[in-house]
Order: sequence, then structure tokens, then C-alpha cells
Amino acid sequence: MTASRLAAAVAGLLTALLLQASLVGPLTFPVPVSLPALLVVVVGIYAGPGVGIGFGFATGLVADLGSQHPAGVQALCLLGAGLVAGKLGGLAVQRGYRTRGVAALAAAIATGACAAGGLLLSVLGSHAATLPATLLALVPVGLTDALLGLLVVPAVRRLLRAQGVRAPRPATRIVTTPPLGGSRVTAAPARGTDVAA
Amino acid sequence: MRTLTRRQQLSATVLAVLALLFISLDFAGGSFADARGGVTGTLGSLYRGTDAVLGPARRFVQGIPDVAGNRHRIALLQQQNHALQQQLTAAQADRATAGRLAALQLQADSERWRILPARVIATGPGGGFDWTVTVDVGSAEHVTAGQTVTDGVGLVGRVLSVHQSTSVILLAADPASGVGVRDTRTGQLLLATGQGGAGLTATPLGDAAPGSAAGVRAGDRLVTGPAGGTTFAPGVPVGTVTGVRTGQAGGLTAQVRPAAGLRTLDLVGIVLLPANTATRAPLTPGGGG
Repeated sequence: MTASRLAAAVAGLLTALLLQASLVGPLTFPVPVSLPALLVVVVGIYAGPGVGIGFGFATGLVADLGSQHPAGVQALCLLGAGLVAGKLGGLAVQRGYRTRGVAALAAAIATGACAAGGLLLSVLGSHAATLPATLLALVPVGLTDALLGLLVVPAVRRLLRAQGVRAPRPATRIVTTPPLGGSRVTAAPARGTDVAA
Repeated sequence: MRTLTRRQQLSATVLAVLALLFISLDFAGGSFADARGGVTGTLGSLYRGTDAVLGPARRFVQGIPDVAGNRHRIALLQQQNHALQQQLTAAQADRATAGRLAALQLQADSERWRILPARVIATGPGGGFDWTVTVDVGSAEHVTAGQTVTDGVGLVGRVLSVHQSTSVILLAADPASGVGVRDTRTGQLLLATGQGGAGLTATPLGDAAPGSAAGVRAGDRLVTGPAGGTTFAPGVPVGTVTGVRTGQAGGLTAQVRPAAGLRTLDLVGIVLLPANTATRAPLTPGGGG
């Protein structure tokens, strides 16, 4: 990871947490919408599961330490969300989903992460979250996440394509196969790269 | 669908175990107090800075759903405010009226008079005089011309003309009005004449020696007194001498500040003759209620 990507990740994390606390949370109350979760999912969709896992864990842990519930709950949920987003995002990118499609997918995954967090907290019994409240909030959270996604998806996509933040291209090796009628040159991905299969 | 590399799988597993470990540790003993304090402090500072910028926008957006309700609420509050201001004004007027009534009652008690309260309903020239007011009692209340009018403190004037339900009062300040008064210090009789807005002037009656020791001087109090054919009830304060000047012929003229507030007349009392009986209950000695 380059320094610029790390700085961008930290900036994105802090921005999401601050916007959540100062704008999104108060405006969407009592619907428990989570902008950090949505950001993790969108980043996972575009950057892949590796980035999704790390970014999700870090964001979740900071959110945990800044709140009252046990540390690790959000970290675990957002780690899972980043993982799922990274894996499913490959299909979305491969099929050329536009903003609306990606926003819908991200909303579904972020809502799942929200539900998982609520369930985990209700199991732990250390927070006001209950199973009925978590289930009742699923639809409003999903709809709000989808609307927020329309703003977050283009921003994240543009950021990840920016010079310096863009992921380094996977190493390629030139494979030359002598065809019958002439030479044909193809590029094959190296091992360990996130290239859509 | 993307596949995870072995390294990513290992990272995911390690981080998941780490998260579960954090949950267990925090749930068991709360050993993250320092970390929580640090993060909360840092985020709190950042949050305050962010809120200073985004707070107004957030509050604006949060207020949008309440715009219609707020409009109705503002209208309601304005109505309530208007009603309360009216009540406040009425209460102040009531307090002032109560004060004047108390003064009239005190005068009725001390002088053993029957005083009929009356409210001034009009001012202005009338009956050929410049300084008159109209009050809301008349012949129906057995008011008769010539009766003395007081505001509880001093002399206001006398009843000039009487109608069925109203009466015209000639104020003592009218230039054509003359009131026989007595200097309470010397017992000297004087004739007080109205000077309009300038108050009253008083000149000694009869053979009062010009410039004598018994003459009027500043600070003397003047009350109504029998002077000629005066119709005023005796002993009503008329005013206080503020200055005395001697004319070229040696005669004294005293400047008098009226005891009654002639410019702020509202509730006045008409001193009834003992034989009168009024349909409006008059104030009687000892009739505090």
C-alpha cells in the first residue's frame, strides 16, 4: 500500500465517522443508517476484498472505540461487509453496473452489516439493540443506504481512479504463442492479483 | 466473483479472530478504557470542529419538516402574546384606577364627603371655555352644576353643565376660571386664576398688605376656601406656591403649581352635596369595599 492510498483511507475513514456523527446520524434518526459501513462496502466493491477487509476492520474498530458498545463488534461486521462487497463487487464491476446498480448492491450489503451488528449487540446484551428493533429497521436502513449510495458511489469511484490512489496495475507476463498464421500476443495475470475471473 | 488469495484469507481470518478477541476482552473486563478515551477525545475534538461548520446546515435541514408547524405555532404564540399584552395593559390600567379610587376614598374618609367616581371620556374646549373635560356621569347620577371635582389629590375644577349621562367639567386651569383659595400657612384668602398649561396664579383678596410679613411666599400650600360666593367644597388642595412676584403697583402675584394632575386626568371624583342620592354607588366614609 502506498502512502497516498493510506492517507486517502485514513481521510475517508475520519470523514465518514465525522459526517456520521454530525450530519447523517442526526438527520436520519431514528433510522440507524451507517455511512462508514456504506463507505466500506463501496470501497470493497471497487477495490476488492483485500482492501475491503482491511478498511472495514480499521473503520469498525475506530467506530467501536468511539462508542459505548464492546470493541470489536463493528470491526467484525464491517470486516465481513468489506469481504462480501469485495467478492460480490467483482460481478458488479464485470457486468458494468452503473451508479444505481452499485448503490443498490452496496445498500443491500451495508444493511446486512447493520443487521448483523444489531443482532450481535442484542446477543451480547450490552446495548439497547434488540432483535425486533433490528428487523424493523432493515427496510428504512436499506432505502436510506440506497439513497446515500447514489452520492457515495460516484465519489468513491472517482477517488479510487485518482492519480496516486489508484491501485497499482497487476504485474503481467507476456505470453507468446506461435499461431499457425502468425504470432499472437496475450497478457496473462500474475498470481495473487485481484482480477475478475 | 473475485476470489481471495491465500494471503487475503489469512488476513481475514486473523482480523476476525482479533475482532472476536476484542469483543471478549471488552465484554469481560473493559480493558480498552485508555484506547476509548484517546479515540473519543480525538473524535470529539474533530466532531466539535465539524459541527461548527455543518451544524447550521444540519439544523436548517432538520427544521424543514417543522416549517408548516412552526408557522402555525408562531401565529398561535403571536395571538397569545397579543392577548397577554392586552391583559398587561388592562392590569396596569386597573392598578392605576385602583390607586385613584383609593385616593378618592381617602379624601372621602378624611373630609366626610360623598364622592361620586367619574371617568373622563372627552377633553377639549366646550361651553365657551378652553379647558374642559367631559365625564361619564350626569343628571341620572344626581350630578348638578357647580359641584367640586377632585382627583383625590387636588382640585380639578367644577361641574359646568350636566346632561343625562355626561357632565362637562371646567378645569381650574382655564383662564376664565377663578377659585377662592386660602393659604394654609397664613390663612390669607386669595383668588386663584387659571393660566392654561402654565398652571395657576393667585392674588391676595381684599386688603392684604402688599409685601407684608403675612404675605404669600414660595412653598405655601393653597386650599379651596370660602371666598365670596364660591361653590367649591372647602379644604380641597389647589396647589403649591412656586414663586411670588411683585407688580409695579406693589401687588403680589403668586405662581401656583396645581396639586391635581390636570394633564393626566382619568378617574375623578365629584363631591356630592349631602342631600344628593346617586344611582351609582358613591364612596362614603369608611366604605373601603
